[in-house]
Amino acid sequence: MSQPALINRYRWYELVAIYVGIFVFLAFILAPFVEGFIVSLKPLSLLFSSPYKFWPENASFAAYFTMWESVPGFARYIFNSFFISTIVTAIVLILVIPAAYAFARFKFRGSGLLLGAFLAVNMFSGAVLLIPLFRLMRSFGVLNTYLAMIMPGVAFLIPSAIWLLRTYMMRIPRELDEAAFVDGASHFYTLRRVILPIAMPGITVVAITTFIGAYAQQFIYALTFNSKTEFMPLPVGLFAYFGRQEVIWNELMAASFVGIAPAVVVIFLLQRYLVSGLTAGAVKQ
Amino acid sequence: MGQLNLNTVQKFYGTFEVLKGIELEVKNGEFVVFVGPSGCGKSTLLRMIAGLDETSSGDILIDGKRVNDLPPVKRGIAMVFQSYALYPHMTVFENIAFPLRVEKMPEEKLKAKVEHAARILHLDQRLQQKPGMLSGGQRQRVAIGRAIVREPKIFLFDEPLSNLDAALRADMRIELAKLHRQLQATMIYVTHDQVEAMTMADRIVVLNAGEIAQTGAPLELYHKPANIFVAGFIGNPKMNFLAVTCTAVSDAGVEVDYKGQAVVVPVRPHAGLVGRTLTLGVRPEHILLGAGDLSLSVTPTVIERLGAHTVAYAAIGGEGENYCAMLPGTVAIRPEEQVLTGIRAADCHLFDEAGIALERRVELTDIDMELLDPAAA
Repeated sequence: MSQPALINRYRWYELVAIYVGIFVFLAFILAPFVEGFIVSLKPLSLLFSSPYKFWPENASFAAYFTMWESVPGFARYIFNSFFISTIVTAIVLILVIPAAYAFARFKFRGSGLLLGAFLAVNMFSGAVLLIPLFRLMRSFGVLNTYLAMIMPGVAFLIPSAIWLLRTYMMRIPRELDEAAFVDGASHFYTLRRVILPIAMPGITVVAITTFIGAYAQQFIYALTFNSKTEFMPLPVGLFAYFGRQEVIWNELMAASFVGIAPAVVVIFLLQRYLVSGLTAGAVKQ
Repeated sequence: MGQLNLNTVQKFYGTFEVLKGIELEVKNGEFVVFVGPSGCGKSTLLRMIAGLDETSSGDILIDGKRVNDLPPVKRGIAMVFQSYALYPHMTVFENIAFPLRVEKMPEEKLKAKVEHAARILHLDQRLQQKPGMLSGGQRQRVAIGRAIVREPKIFLFDEPLSNLDAALRADMRIELAKLHRQLQATMIYVTHDQVEAMTMADRIVVLNAGEIAQTGAPLELYHKPANIFVAGFIGNPKMNFLAVTCTAVSDAGVEVDYKGQAVVVPVRPHAGLVGRTLTLGVRPEHILLGAGDLSLSVTPTVIERLGAHTVAYAAIGGEGENYCAMLPGTVAIRPEEQVLTGIRAADCHLFDEAGIALERRVELTDIDMELLDPAAA
């Protein structure tokens, strides 16, 4: 057995403490998921049986099939969520990559002020500005369209994306830009051929956070700016499981798990671009 | 063609004057080295020639054309950076091809050019690898390849060897000298390493605090430094300086007094020297064991034996300045044991109060002839 390096060696009680700590925190984070999953497996009648049983009897995946019938439009809601988040992410990336490059590389009047303003905007959540936004959307005539959910999503995700990507791009050695400039490349050529490929891990991080952000925040915009069922995203769609008499809890839970599946798939796909060491050999450090 | 002229080129950062009116002419095909301590402005000057830094005032002319407002490509220069600045996601081939891709050269012609450059730099076997897989020397060769593929008028090198280890540096020095002979192109090379300057340059430009301290061939700077700064900067170990008083001036030279010893240094005097305090400079390698025209009895504190030479350091005059002597490798001296050293008057340099050298009476052609002809030595 190979010994770990000296700096990574712990005494037995340190190891115990580390694992106990990990267990406690993980339990806090994961318990709702576990409980949710178990609920989705139980028949509705057993949910409120007393005494409460953690481990389900007659567990089945039935709710995962019946959920499509009790809310027929559910597939559409998943698609809507996915669609809105994807478009938001795409628009944010198209706008943010050149902007972050500019903020990372050029000194121009007001750049510090602008960055500060972006940070300040970040402190308002979209919810605070709902009423002015509503009026804006109404005068643009985009209420009850996809645009009503995409536009504020993009606007509120851009500032943090610029900050993230700018920090990443500042770590790319400036000599690479200078070398490309000396070789006759324009700024856009340099951005496309040199900076973009090297910044790929940073762009991936921005894409993932933007996608998750769009997924999470569309709820509030969908609720206020959209009343058409066919444009509803997943979080609003879940309300359909709240019946007049009772909530179909097991199907609601099943629907939640099915609903986040596409997002999880996207994140796993993007993750392989998160490779470090892409700049190895660029400059001597 | 690659002729470069700098006409009173100045650079300000705010109100701070980094370069104070540089005048320089670099002829076509010349290998010129800018050398100086860090912060002297040599890299800034190079970046201004490259077009990476703005020129505050003055003109930069390449082949007689003012290029101040032209981007680097239009100036016809190529630059090799200290940190190599290779594109890590591209293969060696694509790295070298980058400038040609920018100018949209047809694929066939591009391929031929890149392969030609790779052959010159012995990179033919590496073309499909990424920079991360190469050694430091190979990376630097890729960076040079990217410069030569465009066939620029002037090559600019910004301390290209300072990231390499000593052995590799010596190899690359020889390769660069060969490359210069092969390409016959104008090269401007910035370094703080005087060995690189002495070995590669046709002409050295010594910069100090934003001014040219002296321009000249390597041996000219060594034998006839124009001022104390150049005298101290060129040569290793550093030249020894002794405070002396001028007692008389004659056709033979300037007679000076050092702690009661009189010596006539063969230099061209100018008026009003008598009675002044001058600085006598002598290189460590010119100090002899035993009595000379000027004799100093010193007690070495540290002795470094390098095999070929023995370097002895002694404190004199109490001003904390080391007196350094480079003696033969097998010399019989020990630390803390007094030893008599001598200096020949002909080896001495003399500087006035402003630090300007009084010209030595040695003909440069003589020096060169002497050095070229082993029989005369």
